[in-house]
Amino acid sequence: MKFLGLIRANLGRNKLRTVLTGGAIMLAVVLVCLLLTMPAGLDALLSNIASNTRISVHNKGGVVYSLPYSFTRKVRQVDGVAAATATMWFGGAFEEEGRVTFPNFAVEAEHVGAVYPDYKIPAEQLDDFRRYRDGIIVGRQTMRKYGWKIGDRITLRSTVWPVNLDGRIVGEIPNDRSPIVWLNWTFLDEALKARGGTGLGIANVVWVRATDPERVNAIMREIDDMSRNSEAETACETEKSYFANFFGSMKAFLTIILVVTALVALCIVFIAANTASMGVRERSGELAVLKAIGFGRRVIFGTLLAEAVALSSVAGSSGVLLAIGLTHLLKATTGWSPTLGPLGSFIVTGPVIVQGLFLSLFVGMLAGVVPSFGAARKPVVQTLHEVF
Amino acid sequence: MIEVRNVSRSYHRNVDEVHALDDVSVHIDGGHFVAFMGPSGSGKSTLLNLVSGIDRPNSGEVIVAGQRLNDLSEDDLARWRARHVGLIFQFFNLIPVLSARDNVALPLLLTSLKKPERIRRAETALRVVGLDHRMDHTPRTLSGGEQQRVAIARAIVTDPDLIVADEPTGDLDARNAEDILGLLRQLKHDFGKTIVMVTHDPRALRFVDYALHLDKGILLEGEDAERAAEAIRIAAGAHPH
Repeated sequence: MKFLGLIRANLGRNKLRTVLTGGAIMLAVVLVCLLLTMPAGLDALLSNIASNTRISVHNKGGVVYSLPYSFTRKVRQVDGVAAATATMWFGGAFEEEGRVTFPNFAVEAEHVGAVYPDYKIPAEQLDDFRRYRDGIIVGRQTMRKYGWKIGDRITLRSTVWPVNLDGRIVGEIPNDRSPIVWLNWTFLDEALKARGGTGLGIANVVWVRATDPERVNAIMREIDDMSRNSEAETACETEKSYFANFFGSMKAFLTIILVVTALVALCIVFIAANTASMGVRERSGELAVLKAIGFGRRVIFGTLLAEAVALSSVAGSSGVLLAIGLTHLLKATTGWSPTLGPLGSFIVTGPVIVQGLFLSLFVGMLAGVVPSFGAARKPVVQTLHEVF
Repeated sequence: MIEVRNVSRSYHRNVDEVHALDDVSVHIDGGHFVAFMGPSGSGKSTLLNLVSGIDRPNSGEVIVAGQRLNDLSEDDLARWRARHVGLIFQFFNLIPVLSARDNVALPLLLTSLKKPERIRRAETALRVVGLDHRMDHTPRTLSGGEQQRVAIARAIVTDPDLIVADEPTGDLDARNAEDILGLLRQLKHDFGKTIVMVTHDPRALRFVDYALHLDKGILLEGEDAERAAEAIRIAAGAHPH
């Protein structure tokens, strides 16, 4: 601690260089944090929403192929199934924007609460969802994004079905990160019939909740057996596996992100190391004198390294704060992205913050260690000869 | 106080071996102000580095303040210097971003003293060198003579047994050079410090107790030393500044 004044004074000796180096580290940490939010967003989504008792039942050919809606009833009769709901992508665009800005599905109002008890939707809101055909339940993230509140009426224009639905918000999924919007299955079904269609006879995915995690594998086997040799054979998987596969195509993208992140970090290490070397070289005379008056190698090494680490830590912390601010701004302005899915959530999780801070520490240590060691290890007489 | 026995020191400069000191023996009692004099390459700075614990001899023995320095490691020598030696350089070499007070307090960072005590001692040292009115000034705002006074304050702040000065007047004008030499002599008188100084400055002869003359790595004695001293006195007469 007693060397703090010396370290602070040395950092302030070339303010422009300190600010520029700190700025480079800060921006690198911002970039790295933003890039890391994407895999972190996916991880957070999987660990937050994926239940170990929930099963996805969908067409073996993929979710773009449908299942007969009637199959849902058969699924409910399987031993160990606590609840099941059919879901269908509505692809509704909020009228003010004209594009899909949040995921929205038709779900069975009578069953959805039992399939998602972990969403902790208040019972009276689920009652209203069952009671009112035009009821809509909205995730809190979307509620906040549009400033909606329960009781508001909203119109969604489907980009998939030839209908617009004007509904009333009756409930909220109380999760800050949930963009999901649920519509009443009957509402969509009747709207389609009203346009002369046959109604909603198919489902994208039937979501099932098992009574016991131990029963999940047996249930999946039984459901797949039930559909074998039918026109729509099913492929059951756990919720976690479903989401991991659903976003599997983004894995290569994530790998690229991580590689870019590593390269950015490496570039900054080189920049910071160069700056630290320049600083040490400029002060070789002073360092020689410090050594001569009794500053040992450890003290010289420690103070020089501490300078590099202090600069990168302050810059890194600022970078993390800036990244948090930027992600809040991005979330507020863009919210859920239909292209990026959960990757567009830009969630700065605790681990991302820790990684950002560790990155700045790592940059400081790595950048400082070589010039500091070089300056410290030379015998004092050699240093004096070189300088004077 | 200082006992140098049959010391030799050589360096490798590229492929050549340079014999900086050759079998030199010196004895300096405590409380003396002594100058090492001689032409460039005579070995005076090497001898100064040996007695200040900055360098170690190839052979022979260096004992200062009762401590044999030959066997100490680089880190042990650094610790020993911090406790026993105050160093003054030609180019002052103050830290430009620190005030005079903080520059003087630097060696005290290596002690266990608390900050208020470190500041108190630094201010005392600055008062001794007559700079109590410039404590908050950074080196850039001080004259050359003032900067060297700060360097002297830095050298005495730990109350060392030995003060070592390498060409302390080399970068000063005549008036400041005399002031600095006078200040060093005053430190010897008032505080009983042992001071060893390397200098080319013939004026130094008026301030020191005696001078040791070196040439080509050898300590001159007898008539050779007298001839060297005479040559310096003549040079001083020819160049009164």
